[in-house]
Amino acid sequence: MNYFQIFGFSAQFAVDINQLVELYQTLQKKVHPDKFAHASSQDQLVAVKKSTLINDAYQTLKNPLTRAQYLLELRESDQPSEQASFSDNSFLMRQMELHEMLDDVKHADDIEHAIFELSKELNTGSAELFSTMQSQLDENTTSSNLLAGDNLRKLKFYKKLQVDLDKLEDQLFDD
Amino acid sequence: MAYSAKVIDHYENPRNVGSMDKNDPQVATGMVGAPACGDVMKLQLKINDDGIIEDAKFKTYGCGSAIASSSLVTEWVKGKSIDEAGKIKNTAIAEELALPPVKIHCSILAEDAIKAAIADYRSKTA
Repeated sequence: MNYFQIFGFSAQFAVDINQLVELYQTLQKKVHPDKFAHASSQDQLVAVKKSTLINDAYQTLKNPLTRAQYLLELRESDQPSEQASFSDNSFLMRQMELHEMLDDVKHADDIEHAIFELSKELNTGSAELFSTMQSQLDENTTSSNLLAGDNLRKLKFYKKLQVDLDKLEDQLFDD
Repeated sequence: MAYSAKVIDHYENPRNVGSMDKNDPQVATGMVGAPACGDVMKLQLKINDDGIIEDAKFKTYGCGSAIASSSLVTEWVKGKSIDEAGKIKNTAIAEELALPPVKIHCSILAEDAIKAAIADYRSKTA
């Protein structure tokens, strides 16, 4: 049974998150350890395994990037290895610029404004990639899935920048 | 995870950080990234008419191992011919820095950055 089937979903990118959360809670209640307190150790073990599986499925589908990654794996799309270097020059140049902007945030005269500007850049850049990836996944052909994988890898670079920006914000505003 | 002394040394005192003019015909630029961790690496080589690497600069946004790998590579390529530089293997980088298995991809990134810079040089001189 794949992660989508666990929740009764068809294997596609669009997932109703509210419905996912609801189904996740319902399913977890069914396999909750309290219900198996008096069951055989065999049944207890099965319940724990199911609970872990439901949790893995939920965590994977909840996040759009891991969901896209999982969907491409299910479709057996022939993607480059996770370890392979990425070499789209103009994209990487842009990433460098965004990292430089992030470096400059802490030296900016108006830090809040600098953060706002960078967030805007990150949101615009990733939103465009995201919607392209979404339609490529929906198209679901060999070539569209390959392109979707490419955009997924680009989105991971944006994700990293976003995590770094969030960290910086915590540092700057927590002390 | 503990970094080796060599990684810490390169991380704290990175060699040859900076940029060169990418439009200079003698300057070759290699840009590579690692999608798994979002690291971005730029390696620039200044190559003379005899095909010898006179200078190298890098700029890397990434973890300590990625910075150390690119810093080390700038030291290694200086004075080498582009053919010699192209033969530098990630395994040698990983060994020199005592990278743990989960950080091997940082050394792969550095090797690929050299290859990308050489490819840029060849396309410029072609």
